[in-house]
Amino acid sequence: MIKPPALAVAGAAALVAGSMSPWATFAGFPGKMTLAGFPGGARLFALLLAAGALLFALEVGGRRRAALFAAAGAGAVVAVNIVAITDHGGGLGSVAWGAWMAVAGAGALIAAAWRLPADPERRSERGGGEPAPEEWRRLHPALEVAAIAVALSSVLGAVVWGLEIAESSRFISFLVFLVFASVALHYLGVFSALAVLFARHHRMAMLLGAAAAVAFPFTQQGNAYWIRVFASIGVFAVAAIGLNVVVGLAGLLDLGYVAFFGVGAYVGALFSNAALTTTNIHLPFMVVVILGGCIAAVFGLVIGTPTLRLRGDYLAIVTLGFGEIFRITANNWDGLTRGPNGISGVPDLALGGFDFGESHQLFGITLPGFANYYFVELVLIAGAILVFTRLNDSRIGRAWVAIREDELAAAASGIDTIRLKLLAFAIGAFLAGAAGTVNAHVTTQVSPDSYTFLESILLVAAVVLGGMGTVPGALLGSTALFVIPEKLRAFQDKRLLLFGAALILVMRFRPEGLVPSRRRRRELRSEAPEGVPGLAGASGPPPGGPLS
Amino acid sequence: MLGATYGLIALGYTMVYGIIQLINFAHGEIFMVGAFGGLTVYRYWLPDSMTTNVWVALPAVLLVAMIVSIAVAVLMERLAYRPLRNAPRLAPLITAIGVSIFLQEAVRLFYPDGKRQQAFPQLISSGTFDVAGVTVPWVSVFVVVVAVALMIGLQVFVKRTKTGKAMRATSQDPESAKLMGIDVDRVIVITFVIGAALAAVAGVMQGMRFAQIDFRIGFISGLKAFTAAVLGGIGNITGAVLGGFLLGIVEAMATQYVPHGSSWKDVWAFVVLIAVLVVRPGGLLGERVATRA
Amino acid sequence: MSLLEVRGVTKRFEGLLAVDSVDLDVGEGDIVGVIGPNGAGKTTLFNCMSGLEAPTSGEIRFRGQMLSGRPDRFTKAGVARTFQNIRLFPHMTVFENVLVGRHCRTHVGLVAAIGRGPKFRREERESGEKADELLEFVGLRRQADTLARNLSYGDQRRLEIARALASEPGVLLLDEPRAGMNAAETRAAADLVRRIRDRGVAVAVIEHDMRFIFGLCDRVAVLVQGRKLVEGTPTEVQGDARVIEAYLGAPTA
Repeated sequence: MIKPPALAVAGAAALVAGSMSPWATFAGFPGKMTLAGFPGGARLFALLLAAGALLFALEVGGRRRAALFAAAGAGAVVAVNIVAITDHGGGLGSVAWGAWMAVAGAGALIAAAWRLPADPERRSERGGGEPAPEEWRRLHPALEVAAIAVALSSVLGAVVWGLEIAESSRFISFLVFLVFASVALHYLGVFSALAVLFARHHRMAMLLGAAAAVAFPFTQQGNAYWIRVFASIGVFAVAAIGLNVVVGLAGLLDLGYVAFFGVGAYVGALFSNAALTTTNIHLPFMVVVILGGCIAAVFGLVIGTPTLRLRGDYLAIVTLGFGEIFRITANNWDGLTRGPNGISGVPDLALGGFDFGESHQLFGITLPGFANYYFVELVLIAGAILVFTRLNDSRIGRAWVAIREDELAAAASGIDTIRLKLLAFAIGAFLAGAAGTVNAHVTTQVSPDSYTFLESILLVAAVVLGGMGTVPGALLGSTALFVIPEKLRAFQDKRLLLFGAALILVMRFRPEGLVPSRRRRRELRSEAPEGVPGLAGASGPPPGGPLS
Repeated sequence: MLGATYGLIALGYTMVYGIIQLINFAHGEIFMVGAFGGLTVYRYWLPDSMTTNVWVALPAVLLVAMIVSIAVAVLMERLAYRPLRNAPRLAPLITAIGVSIFLQEAVRLFYPDGKRQQAFPQLISSGTFDVAGVTVPWVSVFVVVVAVALMIGLQVFVKRTKTGKAMRATSQDPESAKLMGIDVDRVIVITFVIGAALAAVAGVMQGMRFAQIDFRIGFISGLKAFTAAVLGGIGNITGAVLGGFLLGIVEAMATQYVPHGSSWKDVWAFVVLIAVLVVRPGGLLGERVATRA
Repeated sequence: MSLLEVRGVTKRFEGLLAVDSVDLDVGEGDIVGVIGPNGAGKTTLFNCMSGLEAPTSGEIRFRGQMLSGRPDRFTKAGVARTFQNIRLFPHMTVFENVLVGRHCRTHVGLVAAIGRGPKFRREERESGEKADELLEFVGLRRQADTLARNLSYGDQRRLEIARALASEPGVLLLDEPRAGMNAAETRAAADLVRRIRDRGVAVAVIEHDMRFIFGLCDRVAVLVQGRKLVEGTPTEVQGDARVIEAYLGAPTA
């Protein structure tokens, strides 16, 4: 323990007191911000971030930056709420003194943090490889697993709690809190430590993660709303993992990916017992899923064969073209796809007498119908993850990385680049197709409007923003892309605008996404290595036309 | 005719690609924004007495359209693309998509009544005349004439002027160009500016031809123009022009002669694009892009 | 017995005749040098021999079988190469780079990779062992976990050689392997080439350093403006008047 500077103490005191005092002068503002004595509403987040002030008293690595971000986060939370209160209340006057005190406190903390001695440089930021997980200090294995369990439970808890938040402003405060707190924890090395723990006990970690995922519907106490959203996220996530194989592993940018998803969906609809379908064939569900995947994979091969020779941007545009061709074809081919109306009335699945549409009771909690789909999707996701990780860590995965880094050298090293690219494409297509067939049942209707270019972009965004080349990245991206718009209903209209802005900003400041694979992070941030001209080319734009 | 429009937009694509190897996905939005810019002038700034005076209205509309497009393009280059100059291909492409979405939405949300189609003034009389049994609107003639004039002007500019030479040098070998004292950044900005100006003209033309515009015209026209650029050979200015006209013809004929053609109208551009890239990726006239060892 | 036969290979680039009807043989246990002034077409010749370029005319045969098509087919057949300006996979480790070289000699496919059966595990282990052995052979074992881009120039060249050897070639084409090296490193490089030959891999080398070539190679071919001027033992080539004339101004020995 060291003696914290006076400025920090004063700042912390102001922040804490301010968080306990009224921020709004009128009762209409959500979250009970007018009451003193307890941190109601968004004030809680500022108070939690004030815990960062403890860093002034503790000697831990990375504390300067962590403290900075914690304090900045607190300030940001207050600022967001000041803006919201002003907006609601019609002027700055509606902001109460507690808010100003909190801002002052945060400001003082930022100033104090700025003055802290600089953090020692972290090893991972210098070149030359990171310390292997085995080298980190080991605690008792039971403790380590317990740490993993605690981390996962907190995530689940945060998700469930966050979903409960009804008001947009409080949710935004929550997001701000999450972001700044995460960054602060990152600088304290918490995430690196967790990553090491996960790697050491990865079987347990996966089990616990799966348990958390399975537990989710039970936390909703019979309310179907979020389960339905997560059911949609589920299919999207399977498709995103598939796209992650194409984009994240093999490095092929596919902007028409949604076409594979759509193919699967139509297959799913056509071969179900849908009320308004054009075929009268009805196949059992498992068969349809595989069939949807296979047909999509065939499409993938057909599209891929002529186009995978093309270079990056061209491939992107051409795949976009195919995506559009798919949509327009579906729109026009009344005979098979019923044109713009699509196929509706897709029934709920019925596997062996178990009707997916009905809710069931388990452990005394009612699980609405969508939970059934959710669990099926968990299985699919598990399968997709299996495929992804095992391929990644194999000769095929290495070949993909080689192709990504230097296609010519990869070919010279004996890799049949065309075949491997096609393989990636087909696998991605298969996963998307399989996901699509399930989606037909979840949304009970399949029409061309659901499979537009925007959907492709959303999938790409999920992968790219979430973190290229990692499973958690794709999952996180998918979840964020669905949950955030849902929670920010107040901004419904401006959703796409913000999405476009988000794409621009993320590419500018964190192109590797939220949870990147280490390798991708190196690739996307690399400058020319010292004094070796030959290797700089990998990250700069290669010149030439479509085929180089 | 459509071909001319595509050609004009294609020029912008091809020039930017030739110089920085970036497919400016958002170029289509520059076209759209220009059209809206012109419309704004006509609706809100032009005194009523002038609205029917073609000699005043038309240049005013064109000028403002160009200014708006150029402003947006320069901003785009500065803020979104320049910082990513050395990033791997993925980042600028996604950024471009983000910019495209952003601009579309910005117009939809912030332009008065942006969600709906806007009536565009018909500054050239909407009459037609007959040539060899084909009905040709005066507007089309005007569009084609203007387009061709601009393209010729551009060719002259690139071949004869100092800046034009600088542009060609940069597109062939940016490093050497820098060493020769050429301000590469400035050249890039100029490229964007010219591309934007041409797109703006195209936007106004489109508005006049179809009597309406909306925030979505950028997307599909952008893709078709890109096809035109590739068809002619990316980086190749004459190619872009040629590609534009060819594409316009193909589209028109396909719509006429293929049964139910009109609902498949948009597909043809993609089909052409795929065909070109598969069969002759360099385009009809060959590409002109920087090649390094 | 000639492993790699180059017969009448010509490469024309839009009016520029880069390689003009060149014949070359690389036999078992050979170390063949290819020299010539800059622009003589040496690298282009190598490109044709390794599949990076398709010759305008002529043919390449390896163990009697004609080779054509994409580079990976050449490598699979047994012709591997390194590049003049080093093309490694910068963000992969040294070990991983060599493993990639093993790709064409391993067979685990989609199903096996997902299934992770005994075949997969065995192959991964064997590949790892072979990669280790190769790293030991070129002297990079200690740096197995370093990122390729962080290696020194000399080490990168050695890595490229290790990766090429991982594909178990019959012939290795080295394109200017000692560029940028000092005298000590150059001697080590020559030594490495001899050890490669002793392993049973024939070698063809493009180089500008005469002392290196003449001290190392059994035979030397001289290319000038795309044509093979002379081929013979180092002594024969050194004394040939035409060669001296072609190199007028360039350092000899």
